[in-house]
Amino acid sequence: MVPMACVFGQSLEFISESLKMSRHDAIITGAALTPYNRRKDGTGFRDWSTDAFFDALAMAEIAVSDIDALFVASESDFFSMQLNPASVLATELGMTGVSATRCEGGGASGQLAVHAAVNAVRSGSARHVAVIGVDPSASSLSGDAVRALYGFSFDVWTDGFTGATSSALYALSYQAFAQPYGTTDDDLTRITLQTRSHAQKNPGAHLPLDSTAQDIANSPMIASPYRRLHCSPLSDGAAALIISGQAYLPQTRRSAPRVGGIGAATDHMHLGARPAPGDFVAKSVSMQRACAQAGITSDAIGLAEIYDPYAGAALQGLVALGLSDDPARDLRSGVFGPMGRCPVNLSGGLMGQGAPVGATGVGQTATMAMLLEGRYHPDLQPHTLPRYGVADTHGGLCTTAAVTILERGAGA
Amino acid sequence: MQYKLTLDYTLAPGWMRPYVDGLKTGQALARHCTACKETSFPPMRVCRCGDTQLDWVVLSGRAQVLFRTEGIDGAFALVQFDGADTRSVVSLDRFMPNTHHGHLAPSTGDVPRLCLHPITEAEPT
Ligand SMILES: [Zn+2]
Repeated sequence: MVPMACVFGQSLEFISESLKMSRHDAIITGAALTPYNRRKDGTGFRDWSTDAFFDALAMAEIAVSDIDALFVASESDFFSMQLNPASVLATELGMTGVSATRCEGGGASGQLAVHAAVNAVRSGSARHVAVIGVDPSASSLSGDAVRALYGFSFDVWTDGFTGATSSALYALSYQAFAQPYGTTDDDLTRITLQTRSHAQKNPGAHLPLDSTAQDIANSPMIASPYRRLHCSPLSDGAAALIISGQAYLPQTRRSAPRVGGIGAATDHMHLGARPAPGDFVAKSVSMQRACAQAGITSDAIGLAEIYDPYAGAALQGLVALGLSDDPARDLRSGVFGPMGRCPVNLSGGLMGQGAPVGATGVGQTATMAMLLEGRYHPDLQPHTLPRYGVADTHGGLCTTAAVTILERGAGA
Repeated sequence: MQYKLTLDYTLAPGWMRPYVDGLKTGQALARHCTACKETSFPPMRVCRCGDTQLDWVVLSGRAQVLFRTEGIDGAFALVQFDGADTRSVVSLDRFMPNTHHGHLAPSTGDVPRLCLHPITEAEPT
């Protein structure tokens, strides 16, 4: 894994010890996503949240009155025009009175909400917790307005003063990565085609494009080397999870996956302060922390949902998570394909499935939970279930990273 | 339903004022750590070594381009300013493909900008 010269926060020894103090294992009893797309049907974030929540609740086989706490991930009030969306959704879902908290960490908001919920269950302060991620990132504002808002994902007083877009900053970081790892434009094409081919089998995907390498090469240059087809779309949508304490697990949900480990970390806010600007160090540290909780190393991971707002970010993520030390070689040999040792982004990832920001991390963990229980879309569901899968999310230019490792349930 | 929102912000630079004021005139004000001697630009309040005793220093403003990106979104680069140990993201103004050095430009407009103008004289080899 990528080393970090100076890591603040929890040591791996502390993590191993502290887990012994938690009262309950956290189990993903319910998981659901709405389709991700650009809504033109007059529905809004309340509707999508309700759809995802009640689908997850039905899977968990519990009632609304069983929920002790609600965590809502939503990146920006400017998308929804709603401050305090957690309280709004508590009322909307018929659980007024419940403890409701909004979680925000840029693109990592959804996974940070998952972590808050897991900690509530592990501490014993809640029996069942609902997590909802939602954002109207596509339909409520123009693309230019959303891109302007995304500019605030970076330190406004340093990188923000350049006027650089998210695409430009990611492009610079990727170039710094491509140099030592020897990845080429062909590798960007390969991961793009692979990810979007998965999206074609996901009925809820925003961009199930049947594009060719030539289509990618012909698409407009956004920020070299990134062309339009190397980028994820802005989407509308919601995702929901029900996370339950082991002691409160319904008898019929013994096959539900367990949260093996969670880990989160931050990196220097401005790109130039990072000793190796192509390395996603916060992701590496998050993964090490999650692995320490789970008592595993990264080579035990057999499925991964990786945060890929751009094609190159997927390659950077594979290295940072310790899933590859030569992503170009492993990509070419099919390691990360549907039949490979560790299938990556079977959902289509952000590039193919789409990215309603607050929903993204929740949706990645929901996808992993369904995959590990054998309940995912039939054309994408692996026949052999690995023991461990990882859902990986980050905000900014991997400034805030959050990783969740799930372990297959006993009965799955 | 259409709804239009217009917002007028007043933003205060706080401890970063020397750096922000410097950008307006094209001066690169950096922070120099008295403990490890590292210089950061853009300036960091806490040095990467963890020390908080830092002084303001003025750099020449000359920088070398390390990585650059261009497209619909504009031209930007990760650069190394002379005298700085950290690197900086900047926008590039009228850079030719074979230009690898530039100078911090005075900001035009209301918001300070980290923008590099090309140095066109013969470049050192
Ligand atoms: Zn220092």
